[in-house]
Amino acid sequence: MDILSDTLTLSRLQFAVTAIFHMLWPVLTTGMAIYLVIVEGLWLKTKNPDYYYHARFWSKLYVLNFGIGVASGAPMAFQFGTNWAPFSEAVGDFFGSILGFEATMAFMLEAGFLGIMIFGWQRVHPLIHYISTICVAIGANLSTFWILTANSWLQTPAGGDFVEGKFVVKDYFAAIFNPFMVKSVSHMFLATLETSLFVIGGISAWYILKQRHTEFFAKSLKIVLAVAIAVTPLQVYVGHLSAEQVYYHQPTKLAAMEALWETIPAGEKADWSLLAIPNEKAERNEWEIKIPNGLAYLLEFKPRLEKPVLGLKEWDEKNRPHMIGLIYYSFRIMSLIGIIFVGIMLVSVIQWLRGKLSPEYISRQRWLLWSWIWAAPLGYVAVEAGWIVRCVGRQPWTVYEKLRTADAVSHLPPENVLASLTVFLVIYTVLFFSALFFASRIVAKGPDFNLPLPEEKLTPVEVTPAQHMPDSRPLV
Amino acid sequence: METLNYLLPIVWFCILALFLFLYVMLDGFDLGVGILSLTASSEERRTILMTSLSNVWDANATWLILMGGSLFGAFPLAYSTILNALYIPIMIMVVGLILRTVSFEFRQNSRRKLFWNWAFGVGSFIAALGQGFALAGVIEGIPVDANGHFIGSSWDWLNWRSIVVALTLIQGYVLIGSCYLIMKTTGKLQETHYKTAKIAAVTTLIGAIIITTVIPIFSEFARNRLFDRPFIYIFALIPLLGVALILLLLKSLNDKKEVTPFVLTILIFLLTFIGLALVVFPYIIPPSITIYEAAASPSSLVFMLIFIGFLIPIMLFYNIYNYFVFRGKITSDTSL
Repeated sequence: MDILSDTLTLSRLQFAVTAIFHMLWPVLTTGMAIYLVIVEGLWLKTKNPDYYYHARFWSKLYVLNFGIGVASGAPMAFQFGTNWAPFSEAVGDFFGSILGFEATMAFMLEAGFLGIMIFGWQRVHPLIHYISTICVAIGANLSTFWILTANSWLQTPAGGDFVEGKFVVKDYFAAIFNPFMVKSVSHMFLATLETSLFVIGGISAWYILKQRHTEFFAKSLKIVLAVAIAVTPLQVYVGHLSAEQVYYHQPTKLAAMEALWETIPAGEKADWSLLAIPNEKAERNEWEIKIPNGLAYLLEFKPRLEKPVLGLKEWDEKNRPHMIGLIYYSFRIMSLIGIIFVGIMLVSVIQWLRGKLSPEYISRQRWLLWSWIWAAPLGYVAVEAGWIVRCVGRQPWTVYEKLRTADAVSHLPPENVLASLTVFLVIYTVLFFSALFFASRIVAKGPDFNLPLPEEKLTPVEVTPAQHMPDSRPLV
Repeated sequence: METLNYLLPIVWFCILALFLFLYVMLDGFDLGVGILSLTASSEERRTILMTSLSNVWDANATWLILMGGSLFGAFPLAYSTILNALYIPIMIMVVGLILRTVSFEFRQNSRRKLFWNWAFGVGSFIAALGQGFALAGVIEGIPVDANGHFIGSSWDWLNWRSIVVALTLIQGYVLIGSCYLIMKTTGKLQETHYKTAKIAAVTTLIGAIIITTVIPIFSEFARNRLFDRPFIYIFALIPLLGVALILLLLKSLNDKKEVTPFVLTILIFLLTFIGLALVVFPYIIPPSITIYEAAASPSSLVFMLIFIGFLIPIMLFYNIYNYFVFRGKITSDTSL
């Protein structure tokens, strides 16, 4: 087979597989970290032990996710060098520095305080514990910032020039604040938060539906809902801005997202394609449902286009993305999920205002609770779909219009890449199902209300070498 | 400006050496404890072994990511060429680290722990093996063209010497892991690890002697450096110091000291590290590419130095604080 002997395709597949798998875990940890900050803050403020047990319960899922995130992040950290050596050499000055910042500023902060956050309840003063939780949350979210900064730079390289194939940085801040950065970071920040909210909400809904600890999980559902009131509509708006910036900076990607083959000139009406069957060979859509004049309103909010929207045929086949169907549908799936989330939020808020979420009524809201449960995995789908649009849509470039993916790949014997890809596929499949299994076991077990509450005054820890000091950590 | 251009790559070489050393020392004992867990005689003992790592493994493993990211930014050519050349050892290491990490998390939640126990120990072993192969690959040199791009074949790193290096590194990890466990455990379990520490000290010494004799014979690059003045004086001193430290270590183990063995092992690691760094420096892709040829532009190095240099003391502070919070022994109620 052709694919199996082509290093470029195999390396791309390997990057896609590792990135898609890796993304599943930090999405939850970054968003959930903020939730943990909220519940621990509520506990410190109200002294209501329920909030403390919330922090303890959800952090179990947090650690499980964090572990797999770290494990699946390792291949990401080395893959740029192993499989994309020419790329690494060409852009290391900037791109490498940013990954270095991510590790020092973000990742280490999260990992360094995680131990105290998880095991330190009896070991440090509650305030120090709270600071640790906050540091974990800051660390996790700084990761989003740096990774999205690095990726945005691939989309809209700024702050320097390519000289003899090597990127020379002139202005670091211009490179960091590249045109895509602010909106992309915001979009991803909201995405991790939104996904986590719906995971927490979905699990809480499941308990409420099963009438296990109804009052306890009504609390988390309401916290999640309160945050979702702001986050879900904001995400639709920021998502719209992110698509708009593609229109201005990456016309090839926009054409692929819309499966638009022919250019729509300025001054014309532009229809928005709702569903279509793109045919890449024939360079047209076999079948299409359009919303009249939708695109002009979406892109410019005007009845007639001021700027033309370029179609895919404007570019030579080797200068535009492929797999149009994948990009087109990924974009639509992501957008649809964003809107579904707003809908669930609105209905839940209405029921809340009608008093239907009070302890005596809440478990009777069966269809609402079920919709929360079904919504729990949707955030992941949206995030992965978004990354597919972002990175498959950037092709054939690794650095948009500067460095081709074909020139970025290491010269490796294809059998080596095939071997590592196969190993990753096997391991990731096992990990994925094991993680699901263990996560559902944690959920099935439920919160442990027998955990001791931390005390303000800590029992002093004396350490003399001869003395056997009990370490209060729970044995794993 | 000239001095700056001269100094910056050296500074970054030192920072990377620091990250790598911290990684080898800290995740070294994690991996060592992991390998030792394969020999644990009961589930209870294994539980204590793994609990001793529960709050530190993630931060410890992060030093490797730090080192990878910084190498990428500071010496892009070295990052791309070395990782490209050592594709297979790096993949071996990554797979080992994945197994080690996830089985640690999964084990806590599983009722039948056998599979995850095994995956944790074997993962630690595989990760250490990959690191050993990669280390040997770098020491023996990576063939490159005039632009510094890798031109060798993907199995160049595999020979009997790299196997000796990898096995010795594993012995070193088992040694530091045993010394860590001596600090963190009591009673019979501690006794066991006094024994494993002694055995590992001897096997590490044997491996180190073989490597020190063999490398100059097979590697022209290392030979030239070793017998070069003024390095020859330093290189004459390092083995002597090493043997002295190992003897001190064996004595402290005999005297049932709790902290001294760990400190002495760190000194042995440090000495080896300085030795290796001196052999390699100023090359970063031995035998032909220097830190100056591989370095990012001076402005990049300054930019990174501002951020990362500033964070190094902060990172060290909170990492040390983490160890301080969880000081003391891991115990379980029942006797072992």
